[in-house]
Amino acid sequence: MTSPDADAPLVERVKQGDVKAFEMLVVKYQRRIERLIGRMVRDVDLVPDIAQETFIRAYRAIPQFRGESAFYTWLYRIAVNTAKKSLMELKRDPLVTESARATREDEDERSPVENELSDGETPDAVLASKQIAAAVNFAIEGLSEELRQAITLREIEGLSYEEIAELMNCPIGTVRSRIFRAREAIATRLRPLLDTREGERW
Amino acid sequence: MSSGFEKGSPAAERLSALADGEVDAGAAGAACAAWKSDAELRRTWHAWHLIGDVLRSEDLASSPGRDQRFLLALRERLAAEPVVLAPEPLPQAPAARRNGGRWMLPSAVAAGFMLVAGTFLVLDPTGAPSPAVPTLARVEPPAAVEATMVQAGLREPALPVQAVAVNGRMIRDPRLESYLAAHKQFAGTSALGVPSTFLRSATVDAEPR
Repeated sequence: MTSPDADAPLVERVKQGDVKAFEMLVVKYQRRIERLIGRMVRDVDLVPDIAQETFIRAYRAIPQFRGESAFYTWLYRIAVNTAKKSLMELKRDPLVTESARATREDEDERSPVENELSDGETPDAVLASKQIAAAVNFAIEGLSEELRQAITLREIEGLSYEEIAELMNCPIGTVRSRIFRAREAIATRLRPLLDTREGERW
Repeated sequence: MSSGFEKGSPAAERLSALADGEVDAGAAGAACAAWKSDAELRRTWHAWHLIGDVLRSEDLASSPGRDQRFLLALRERLAAEPVVLAPEPLPQAPAARRNGGRWMLPSAVAAGFMLVAGTFLVLDPTGAPSPAVPTLARVEPPAAVEATMVQAGLREPALPVQAVAVNGRMIRDPRLESYLAAHKQFAGTSALGVPSTFLRSATVDAEPR
Protein backbone atom coordinates (compact mmCIF):
# COMPACT_ATOMS: atom_id res chain seq x y z
CA MET A 1 0.00 0.00 0.00
CA THR A 2 1.49 3.30 -1.05
CA SER A 3 1.67 6.18 1.41
CA PRO A 4 -1.16 8.70 1.09
CA ASP A 5 -0.18 11.86 -0.73
CA ALA A 6 1.06 14.39 1.83
CA ASP A 7 -0.27 17.16 -0.41
CA ALA A 8 -3.84 15.87 -0.35
CA PRO A 9 -5.15 18.17 2.43
CA LEU A 10 -3.73 21.25 0.71
CA VAL A 11 -4.98 20.25 -2.73
CA GLU A 12 -8.41 19.69 -1.27
CA ARG A 13 -8.31 23.22 0.17
CA VAL A 14 -7.39 24.61 -3.26
CA LYS A 15 -10.34 22.81 -4.78
CA GLN A 16 -12.58 24.55 -2.27
CA GLY A 17 -11.44 27.92 -3.55
CA ASP A 18 -8.57 28.57 -1.14
CA VAL A 19 -6.05 30.28 -3.39
CA LYS A 20 -3.57 30.76 -0.56
CA ALA A 21 -3.41 27.00 -0.13
CA PHE A 22 -2.13 26.88 -3.70
CA GLU A 23 0.53 29.44 -2.80
CA MET A 24 1.63 27.11 -0.02
CA LEU A 25 2.13 24.37 -2.59
CA VAL A 26 4.07 26.77 -4.79
CA VAL A 27 6.44 27.60 -1.95
CA LYS A 28 6.92 23.89 -1.42
CA TYR A 29 7.69 22.93 -5.03
CA GLN A 30 9.10 26.04 -6.69
CA ARG A 31 12.76 25.04 -6.34
CA ARG A 32 12.27 21.50 -7.57
CA ILE A 33 10.23 22.62 -10.55
CA GLU A 34 12.80 25.24 -11.46
CA ARG A 35 15.57 22.66 -11.27
CA LEU A 36 13.61 20.32 -13.51
CA ILE A 37 12.97 23.04 -16.08
CA GLY A 38 16.59 24.13 -15.88
CA ARG A 39 17.60 20.65 -17.01
CA MET A 40 15.48 21.01 -20.14
CA VAL A 41 16.08 24.61 -21.08
CA ARG A 42 19.57 25.96 -21.78
CA ASP A 43 18.87 29.60 -21.02
CA VAL A 44 18.51 29.83 -17.23
CA ASP A 45 16.95 33.28 -17.52
CA LEU A 46 13.88 31.61 -18.99
CA VAL A 47 13.47 29.22 -16.09
CA PRO A 48 11.47 31.43 -13.70
CA ASP A 49 9.00 32.40 -16.44
CA ILE A 50 8.43 28.82 -17.48
CA ALA A 51 8.07 27.83 -13.83
CA GLN A 52 5.50 30.57 -13.28
CA GLU A 53 3.61 29.38 -16.34
CA THR A 54 3.74 25.83 -14.99
CA PHE A 55 2.12 26.82 -11.72
CA ILE A 56 -0.57 28.89 -13.41
CA ARG A 57 -1.45 25.99 -15.68
CA ALA A 58 -1.54 23.65 -12.71
CA TYR A 59 -3.80 26.03 -10.86
CA ARG A 60 -6.24 26.20 -13.74
CA ALA A 61 -6.22 22.43 -14.15
CA ILE A 62 -6.72 21.58 -10.49
CA PRO A 63 -10.39 20.68 -10.99
CA GLN A 64 -9.21 17.88 -13.26
CA PHE A 65 -6.75 16.52 -10.72
CA ARG A 66 -8.43 13.55 -9.09
CA GLY A 67 -5.68 12.12 -6.96
CA GLU A 68 -4.96 9.24 -9.32
CA SER A 69 -1.31 10.11 -9.01
CA ALA A 70 0.51 12.10 -6.38
CA PHE A 71 0.10 15.83 -6.82
CA TYR A 72 3.79 16.35 -7.46
CA THR A 73 3.81 13.69 -10.19
CA TRP A 74 1.00 15.55 -11.90
CA LEU A 75 2.75 18.90 -11.42
CA TYR A 76 5.98 17.42 -12.79
CA ARG A 77 4.24 16.41 -16.01
CA ILE A 78 2.80 19.89 -16.41
CA ALA A 79 6.27 21.36 -15.95
CA VAL A 80 7.75 19.11 -18.62
CA ASN A 81 4.96 19.94 -21.05
CA THR A 82 5.23 23.65 -20.35
CA ALA A 83 8.98 23.61 -20.90
CA LYS A 84 8.61 21.69 -24.17
CA LYS A 85 5.96 24.12 -25.36
CA SER A 86 8.20 27.06 -24.53
CA LEU A 87 11.08 25.51 -26.41
CA MET A 88 8.90 24.97 -29.46
CA GLU A 89 7.85 28.59 -29.38
CA LEU A 90 11.45 29.69 -29.08
CA LYS A 91 12.46 27.68 -32.08
CA ARG A 92 9.81 29.38 -34.13
CA ASP A 93 10.65 32.92 -33.08
CA PRO A 94 13.11 34.50 -35.57
CA LEU A 95 14.20 37.17 -33.08
CA VAL A 96 15.43 34.71 -30.49
CA THR A 97 19.16 34.16 -30.37
CA GLU A 98 20.71 30.89 -31.34
CA SER A 99 22.08 30.22 -27.86
CA ALA A 100 18.68 30.73 -26.20
CA ARG A 101 17.16 28.31 -28.64
CA ALA A 102 19.60 25.57 -27.81
CA THR A 103 18.52 22.85 -25.45
CA ARG A 104 20.52 20.74 -23.10
CA GLU A 105 20.29 17.90 -25.58
CA ASP A 106 22.38 19.81 -28.08
CA GLU A 107 26.13 19.39 -27.93
CA ASP A 108 27.51 21.68 -25.32
CA GLU A 109 30.07 23.91 -26.98
CA ARG A 110 29.92 26.70 -24.44
CA SER A 111 32.41 27.08 -21.65
CA PRO A 112 31.54 25.87 -18.15
CA VAL A 113 31.73 29.42 -16.84
CA GLU A 114 29.12 30.61 -19.33
CA ASN A 115 26.87 27.81 -18.22
CA GLU A 116 27.14 28.72 -14.57
CA LEU A 117 26.46 32.41 -14.58
CA SER A 118 23.30 34.28 -15.37
CA ASP A 119 21.19 36.94 -13.71
CA GLY A 120 19.87 34.52 -11.13
CA GLU A 121 23.23 33.00 -10.39
CA THR A 122 25.66 35.75 -9.54
CA PRO A 123 28.63 34.77 -7.39
CA ASP A 124 26.83 36.30 -4.40
CA ALA A 125 23.75 34.23 -5.02
CA VAL A 126 25.74 31.05 -5.47
CA LEU A 127 27.65 31.77 -2.27
CA ALA A 128 24.43 32.44 -0.36
CA SER A 129 23.03 29.12 -1.53
CA LYS A 130 26.14 27.30 -0.38
CA GLN A 131 25.94 29.00 2.99
CA ILE A 132 22.37 27.86 3.41
CA ALA A 133 23.25 24.29 2.53
CA ALA A 134 26.13 24.38 4.99
CA ALA A 135 23.94 25.85 7.73
CA VAL A 136 21.34 23.12 7.29
CA ASN A 137 23.95 20.39 7.45
CA PHE A 138 25.59 21.92 10.48
CA ALA A 139 22.25 22.34 12.25
CA ILE A 140 21.16 18.80 11.65
CA GLU A 141 24.38 17.47 13.10
CA GLY A 142 23.64 19.46 16.21
CA LEU A 143 20.24 17.88 16.81
CA SER A 144 19.61 15.21 19.39
CA GLU A 145 19.49 11.68 18.02
CA GLU A 146 15.71 11.51 18.32
CA LEU A 147 15.07 14.75 16.49
CA ARG A 148 17.59 13.98 13.77
CA GLN A 149 16.17 10.52 13.21
CA ALA A 150 12.60 11.81 13.09
CA ILE A 151 13.28 14.52 10.54
CA THR A 152 15.53 12.27 8.47
CA LEU A 153 12.91 9.55 8.27
CA ARG A 154 10.32 12.10 7.25
CA GLU A 155 12.24 14.31 4.83
CA ILE A 156 14.74 11.91 3.31
CA GLU A 157 13.00 8.55 3.59
CA GLY A 158 9.55 10.05 3.04
CA LEU A 159 7.89 7.89 5.67
CA SER A 160 4.50 8.72 7.16
CA TYR A 161 4.08 9.56 10.84
CA GLU A 162 2.61 6.14 11.40
CA GLU A 163 5.57 4.40 9.82
CA ILE A 164 8.04 6.54 11.75
CA ALA A 165 6.19 5.84 15.00
CA GLU A 166 6.55 2.15 14.36
CA LEU A 167 10.25 2.45 13.56
CA MET A 168 11.04 4.70 16.49
CA ASN A 169 8.72 2.81 18.80
CA CYS A 170 6.90 5.88 20.06
CA PRO A 171 3.42 7.39 19.72
CA ILE A 172 2.46 9.30 16.57
CA GLY A 173 2.04 12.46 18.64
CA THR A 174 5.68 12.19 19.66
CA VAL A 175 6.72 11.82 16.02
CA ARG A 176 4.77 14.93 15.12
CA SER A 177 6.34 16.87 17.97
CA ARG A 178 9.89 15.71 17.20
CA ILE A 179 9.65 16.60 13.54
CA PHE A 180 8.30 20.01 14.45
CA ARG A 181 11.05 20.67 16.97
CA ALA A 182 13.72 19.52 14.54
CA ARG A 183 12.39 21.88 11.89
CA GLU A 184 12.31 24.76 14.31
CA ALA A 185 15.84 24.10 15.55
CA ILE A 186 17.23 24.10 12.01
CA ALA A 187 15.12 27.07 10.93
CA THR A 188 16.43 29.08 13.86
CA ARG A 189 19.96 28.68 12.50
CA LEU A 190 18.79 29.49 9.03
CA ARG A 191 16.79 32.62 9.71
CA PRO A 192 19.71 35.08 9.75
CA LEU A 193 20.71 33.79 6.31
CA LEU A 194 17.17 34.09 5.01
CA ASP A 195 16.47 37.65 6.05
CA THR A 196 15.62 39.59 2.96
CA ARG A 197 15.92 43.22 2.06
CA GLU A 198 13.32 45.56 3.38
CA GLY A 199 10.20 45.79 1.28
CA GLU A 200 10.18 42.14 0.39
CA ARG A 201 7.61 40.28 2.43
CA TRP A 202 6.09 36.88 2.20
CA MET B 1 0.34 41.09 14.77
CA SER B 2 1.24 37.44 15.15
CA SER B 3 -1.70 35.09 15.33
CA GLY B 4 -0.14 33.04 18.07
CA PHE B 5 3.03 31.96 16.38
CA GLU B 6 5.78 31.58 18.90
CA LYS B 7 8.41 28.95 19.20
CA GLY B 8 6.63 25.76 20.13
CA SER B 9 3.13 27.16 19.66
CA PRO B 10 0.29 24.80 18.73
CA ALA B 11 -0.40 26.80 15.56
CA ALA B 12 3.17 26.26 14.41
CA GLU B 13 3.11 22.58 15.24
CA ARG B 14 -0.13 22.17 13.35
CA LEU B 15 1.47 23.87 10.35
CA SER B 16 4.30 21.38 10.57
CA ALA B 17 1.81 18.50 10.53
CA LEU B 18 0.10 20.06 7.51
CA ALA B 19 3.46 20.13 5.72
CA ASP B 20 3.45 16.34 6.12
CA GLY B 21 -0.20 15.93 5.19
CA GLU B 22 -0.93 14.56 8.65
CA VAL B 23 -3.96 16.68 9.55
CA ASP B 24 -7.69 16.36 9.05
CA ALA B 25 -9.70 18.82 6.98
CA GLY B 26 -10.60 21.02 9.94
CA ALA B 27 -7.01 21.43 11.07
CA ALA B 28 -5.91 22.00 7.47
CA GLY B 29 -8.43 24.81 7.10
CA ALA B 30 -7.32 26.41 10.34
CA ALA B 31 -3.65 26.12 9.40
CA CYS B 32 -4.27 27.66 5.99
CA ALA B 33 -6.20 30.53 7.53
CA ALA B 34 -3.33 31.13 9.93
CA TRP B 35 -0.80 31.05 7.07
CA LYS B 36 -2.84 33.58 5.19
CA SER B 37 -2.92 36.06 8.07
CA ASP B 38 0.52 35.66 9.61
CA ALA B 39 3.67 36.66 7.72
CA GLU B 40 5.85 34.93 10.28
CA LEU B 41 4.11 31.63 9.57
CA ARG B 42 4.61 32.18 5.86
CA ARG B 43 8.31 32.73 6.36
CA THR B 44 8.46 29.64 8.53
CA TRP B 45 6.65 27.53 5.94
CA HIS B 46 9.22 28.60 3.37
CA ALA B 47 12.14 27.90 5.70
CA TRP B 48 10.89 24.40 6.52
CA HIS B 49 10.46 23.45 2.89
CA LEU B 50 13.82 24.89 1.96
CA ILE B 51 15.28 22.74 4.73
CA GLY B 52 13.55 19.63 3.40
CA ASP B 53 14.77 20.33 -0.13
CA VAL B 54 18.34 20.92 0.99
CA LEU B 55 18.37 17.76 3.10
CA ARG B 56 17.44 15.80 0.01
CA SER B 57 19.64 17.65 -2.43
CA GLU B 58 22.04 20.50 -1.83
CA ASP B 59 21.61 21.89 -5.31
CA LEU B 60 18.12 22.96 -4.29
CA ALA B 61 19.48 25.59 -1.92
CA SER B 62 18.27 28.99 -3.01
CA SER B 63 19.58 32.47 -2.38
CA PRO B 64 17.60 34.67 -0.01
CA GLY B 65 14.88 36.66 -1.63
CA ARG B 66 14.84 34.64 -4.81
CA ASP B 67 12.06 32.33 -3.69
CA GLN B 68 10.19 35.24 -2.24
CA ARG B 69 10.34 37.16 -5.51
CA PHE B 70 9.03 34.11 -7.30
CA LEU B 71 6.02 33.85 -5.02
CA LEU B 72 5.22 37.54 -5.16
CA ALA B 73 5.28 37.48 -8.96
CA LEU B 74 3.08 34.40 -9.04
CA ARG B 75 0.69 35.95 -6.55
CA GLU B 76 0.07 38.80 -8.98
CA ARG B 77 -0.67 36.37 -11.78
CA LEU B 78 -2.96 34.33 -9.53
CA ALA B 79 -4.90 37.47 -8.65
CA ALA B 80 -5.79 37.79 -12.33
CA GLU B 81 -7.09 34.24 -12.51
CA PRO B 82 -10.67 33.22 -11.83
CA VAL B 83 -10.89 31.23 -8.62
CA VAL B 84 -11.07 27.55 -9.45
CA LEU B 85 -13.70 25.59 -7.68
CA ALA B 86 -14.11 21.85 -7.62
CA PRO B 87 -15.31 20.74 -4.20
CA GLU B 88 -14.83 17.03 -4.83
CA PRO B 89 -12.74 15.39 -2.13
CA LEU B 90 -9.72 13.40 -3.21
CA PRO B 91 -10.07 9.65 -2.70
CA GLN B 92 -6.65 9.50 -1.07
CA ALA B 93 -7.37 11.75 1.86
CA PRO B 94 -9.32 9.56 4.27
CA ALA B 95 -8.58 11.75 7.28
CA ALA B 96 -9.52 14.88 5.46
CA ARG B 97 -13.21 14.32 5.21
CA ARG B 98 -15.81 16.45 6.85
CA ASN B 99 -19.40 15.49 6.14
CA GLY B 100 -18.09 13.55 3.19
CA GLY B 101 -17.69 16.68 1.15
CA ARG B 102 -19.84 14.96 -1.39
CA TRP B 103 -22.96 16.26 -2.94
CA MET B 104 -25.43 13.95 -1.24
CA LEU B 105 -28.69 14.20 -3.09
CA PRO B 106 -31.92 12.35 -2.83
CA SER B 107 -32.25 10.59 -6.14
CA ALA B 108 -35.46 12.43 -6.96
CA VAL B 109 -33.75 15.77 -6.72
CA ALA B 110 -30.72 14.43 -8.49
CA ALA B 111 -32.81 13.24 -11.38
CA GLY B 112 -34.32 16.69 -11.63
CA PHE B 113 -31.01 18.44 -11.99
CA MET B 114 -30.07 19.84 -15.31
CA LEU B 115 -26.93 18.15 -16.44
CA VAL B 116 -24.53 20.07 -18.50
CA ALA B 117 -21.95 17.87 -20.06
CA GLY B 118 -18.63 19.04 -21.30
CA THR B 119 -19.26 22.69 -21.97
CA PHE B 120 -18.15 25.66 -19.98
CA LEU B 121 -18.32 29.36 -20.27
CA VAL B 122 -15.11 31.31 -20.12
CA LEU B 123 -15.27 35.00 -19.48
CA ASP B 124 -12.64 37.57 -20.18
CA PRO B 125 -11.87 40.14 -17.50
CA THR B 126 -14.35 42.65 -18.85
CA GLY B 127 -17.08 40.14 -18.15
CA ALA B 128 -18.25 39.83 -21.72
CA PRO B 129 -18.58 36.30 -22.96
CA SER B 130 -16.07 35.58 -25.65
CA PRO B 131 -17.79 35.16 -29.00
CA ALA B 132 -15.51 32.27 -29.85
CA VAL B 133 -16.69 30.21 -26.91
CA PRO B 134 -19.68 27.92 -27.25
CA THR B 135 -22.73 29.07 -25.35
CA LEU B 136 -23.85 27.15 -22.35
CA ALA B 137 -25.91 24.19 -23.40
CA ARG B 138 -28.45 22.47 -21.23
CA VAL B 139 -29.32 18.92 -22.02
CA GLU B 140 -31.62 16.40 -20.50
CA PRO B 141 -29.67 13.76 -18.65
CA PRO B 142 -29.03 10.88 -21.02
CA ALA B 143 -30.74 7.65 -20.08
CA ALA B 144 -27.46 5.94 -19.28
CA VAL B 145 -26.55 8.61 -16.77
CA GLU B 146 -29.95 8.44 -15.13
CA ALA B 147 -29.60 4.71 -14.79
CA THR B 148 -26.21 5.18 -13.21
CA MET B 149 -27.59 7.69 -10.77
CA VAL B 150 -30.41 5.43 -9.74
CA GLN B 151 -28.03 2.53 -9.40
CA ALA B 152 -25.68 4.57 -7.31
CA GLY B 153 -28.59 5.31 -5.03
CA LEU B 154 -28.32 7.92 -2.41
CA ARG B 155 -24.66 7.70 -1.71
CA GLU B 156 -22.65 8.34 -4.83
CA PRO B 157 -24.45 10.31 -7.49
CA ALA B 158 -22.44 10.65 -10.68
CA LEU B 159 -23.43 14.20 -11.20
CA PRO B 160 -21.66 17.04 -12.89
CA VAL B 161 -22.24 20.17 -10.90
CA GLN B 162 -21.90 23.51 -12.51
CA ALA B 163 -21.56 26.95 -11.09
CA VAL B 164 -21.45 29.73 -13.63
CA ALA B 165 -20.77 33.40 -13.18
CA VAL B 166 -21.84 36.03 -15.65
CA ASN B 167 -20.73 39.60 -15.20
CA GLY B 168 -19.72 38.90 -11.66
CA ARG B 169 -23.05 37.49 -10.53
CA MET B 170 -23.44 33.89 -9.62
CA ILE B 171 -26.07 32.22 -11.73
CA ARG B 172 -27.10 28.83 -10.53
CA ASP B 173 -29.95 26.50 -11.08
CA PRO B 174 -32.57 27.55 -8.49
CA ARG B 175 -32.79 23.98 -7.23
CA LEU B 176 -29.05 24.14 -6.56
CA GLU B 177 -29.63 27.33 -4.62
CA SER B 178 -32.23 25.73 -2.41
CA TYR B 179 -30.03 22.69 -1.97
CA LEU B 180 -27.18 24.87 -0.81
CA ALA B 181 -29.45 26.75 1.55
CA ALA B 182 -30.63 23.48 3.05
CA HIS B 183 -27.15 22.12 3.41
CA LYS B 184 -25.19 24.78 5.13
CA GLN B 185 -21.90 23.17 4.37
CA PHE B 186 -20.62 26.14 2.55
CA ALA B 187 -22.50 28.82 4.45
CA GLY B 188 -20.27 31.64 5.48
CA THR B 189 -17.27 30.39 3.58
CA SER B 190 -15.68 32.16 0.73
CA ALA B 191 -15.71 28.98 -1.30
CA LEU B 192 -19.01 29.66 -2.95
CA GLY B 193 -19.64 33.26 -2.12
CA VAL B 194 -19.15 35.72 -4.93
CA PRO B 195 -15.51 36.73 -4.76
CA SER B 196 -14.12 39.97 -5.95
CA THR B 197 -13.06 38.14 -9.09
CA PHE B 198 -15.57 36.06 -10.95
CA LEU B 199 -15.70 32.31 -10.90
CA ARG B 200 -14.82 30.18 -13.81
CA SER B 201 -17.28 27.34 -14.07
CA ALA B 202 -15.83 23.96 -13.38
CA THR B 203 -17.66 20.77 -14.07
CA VAL B 204 -17.12 18.24 -11.37
CA ASP B 205 -17.82 14.57 -11.69
CA ALA B 206 -18.44 12.81 -8.43
CA GLU B 207 -17.24 9.35 -9.28
CA PRO B 208 -18.84 6.39 -7.59
CA ARG B 209 -16.26 4.42 -5.69
